[in-house]
Amino acid sequence: MNATDLHQPKQFAPPSRLIRIKDHVRNHWQLYVMLAPTIIWLITFLYTPMYGLQIAFKDYSLFRGVSGSPWVGFEHFNTLFDNQQFLRALKNTVVISFLSLCFGFPIPILLALMFNEILNQGFKKTAQTIVYLPHFISSVIIAGIVITAFSPSAGIVNTVLEYFGFDSVYFLTRPEWFRPIFIGSSIWQEAGFSSIVFLAAIAGVSPTLYESAVIDGASRWQMMWKITIPSIMSTIIIMLIIRIGNLLEVGFEMIILLYQPATYQTADVINTFIYRQGIQTGNYDLAAAAGLFNAVIAFILVIAANSLAKRYSRTSLW
Amino acid sequence: MSVQLESIVKKYGNLQVVHGIDLEVGEKEFVVLVGPSGCGKSTTLRMIAGLEEITQGQLTIDGRIMNRVAPKDRDVAMVFQNYALYPHLNVADNIAFGLKIRRESKQSIEASIKEVSGILGLTEYLDRKPSDLSGGQRQRVAMGRAIVRRPKVFLFDEPLSNLDAKLRTQMRAEIKRLHNRLGVTSIYVTHDQVEAMTLADRIVVMNDGRIEQIGAPMDLFLNPANTFVASFLGAPPMNQIAAVVAQSADGPVAEFNNHSLPLPHLEGLQGATGREIVVGVRPEFAEPVNVVSPGVVPLEIDLIETLGSEALLHSMVANEPFVMKADTLTGINVLQDVKGFKIPRELIRVFDAASGKALPGQDQPV
Repeated sequence: MNATDLHQPKQFAPPSRLIRIKDHVRNHWQLYVMLAPTIIWLITFLYTPMYGLQIAFKDYSLFRGVSGSPWVGFEHFNTLFDNQQFLRALKNTVVISFLSLCFGFPIPILLALMFNEILNQGFKKTAQTIVYLPHFISSVIIAGIVITAFSPSAGIVNTVLEYFGFDSVYFLTRPEWFRPIFIGSSIWQEAGFSSIVFLAAIAGVSPTLYESAVIDGASRWQMMWKITIPSIMSTIIIMLIIRIGNLLEVGFEMIILLYQPATYQTADVINTFIYRQGIQTGNYDLAAAAGLFNAVIAFILVIAANSLAKRYSRTSLW
Repeated sequence: MSVQLESIVKKYGNLQVVHGIDLEVGEKEFVVLVGPSGCGKSTTLRMIAGLEEITQGQLTIDGRIMNRVAPKDRDVAMVFQNYALYPHLNVADNIAFGLKIRRESKQSIEASIKEVSGILGLTEYLDRKPSDLSGGQRQRVAMGRAIVRRPKVFLFDEPLSNLDAKLRTQMRAEIKRLHNRLGVTSIYVTHDQVEAMTLADRIVVMNDGRIEQIGAPMDLFLNPANTFVASFLGAPPMNQIAAVVAQSADGPVAEFNNHSLPLPHLEGLQGATGREIVVGVRPEFAEPVNVVSPGVVPLEIDLIETLGSEALLHSMVANEPFVMKADTLTGINVLQDVKGFKIPRELIRVFDAASGKALPGQDQPV
């Protein structure tokens, strides 16, 4: 081989995409096996039911079935937007979601930052266990605790109010109290557990960053603002995108357990509206239209949040 | 500014990792702490920085006792192995971090950034984030963060370990130039004896939480105080042959495996027939020969590693690995026929086999 040959290596065609995928599956089949249950779950419970989404555009009848029902175009969507109950549910969903995001999202971060500052390991572990605990309690029991705590006769809240000379209030029948109670109980239930992901992110920050800052003269407060928070910002952004994607998925189990006709005015959300329309009234097509609307808005929100995150912080889900 | 360590001890519970270190680092001096992993060199440096509490002993910087002084008030700056750069800040903000914490004026900060980035050749990278820099550039930013505060003492904790060999050589020279230019007292920790030899005014060899020897690089190279220092400094390190002393008409000789090697005329070897010793032979001082004659130790070469202008000849002597460094420019093929080595008796280092300490009276002038 002379010098010219060295500079002109033989050209080989790259393997086709199909061959590369086959090689990948053969070499890493264990990973695909582990992935399989999730894929099967997604197909069974999320993709297969999408077939039924078409009833949002049909005059659905149980007897004619999904394919036999006649198409009606956007009629159900027109009905929805003419329906005061739906518009009220839409407004409540947006308000409750927004308030939950404003109050519920920062609290786990604050908790994680606070746990990180606790030096006594025993105290730290006890405090963490106490705040994680409500996550493992069923929503029905949480609702029971909330109902009991705010009960006008024996509830601790009213007992305290009466002790200080105030009149007792039947909080759960008062529309203006529903949102604070719902958001407060959601935070109480989930904030501790949600803080784990931020604690894990904080644990990943290199200790030498703090040591370097200590030598530079930074206080613990300055280290939190200038090192910890910026270092976990990508995790915060990812969690925010996921949260925004689920923005309209207000925890409707808790709402169903806590609301009553007296508080529909502030408590009824799209999911409870769908539940009443679909399960209780049997208007499956209208409920499907409301559900589809909810999903499309959530989809747009998550795309928008991801693009904004990508543009401003170089962090994104995809 | 001088740094003085007096009987410094570090314990973690019942585990003692530093056993009473005494060291004085003079003004503008560049001292390198070198030793194997776990020898306590980084712990000692971190005690000087204030990142680790001193269990016992006294640390003085510039005449002031520093044991209970907060790290920020010790006026030291530290360069870490993994650079410790803030990933969310650009180069300028990383360099300015310490100054901002100390609430210096904006103009003064900008002037300092300009000066430091000029010294380190970082001016065109000031807007970049650390993730957009190469390893060498990151290391320069880390040094920028340290020098911008104009500290009394620089502490370096294995700052070049994460760089590739070529960059390490380049950065080593930059650190030396920077020290010559700034003249700040520096304490540098490394496990790489080449870094220690090239950078240090004085080297402190540590082992198992104790100082084995302190001295100028060439002094330590030529006159290791014990077998540990002999085996740690030098690339490759000093060959060590277990032997017993015998006497010949010409003076003391070392006997091993039916071979003998003339030893220097040391007081400790006079009439010491049968004394167990370790004979130290630097690979550079052993002269490969092609003919076995009296005074030549025969050996069989089993591997030749060519390094370019030099080659390492591997063999076994007295059942221990034995390496010689030979010149290749006179002809690499000649090295295939090496049958033994000889060495002038004054270039041999003799250690007591029991204590591992060098026998007195054999130090060579540096």
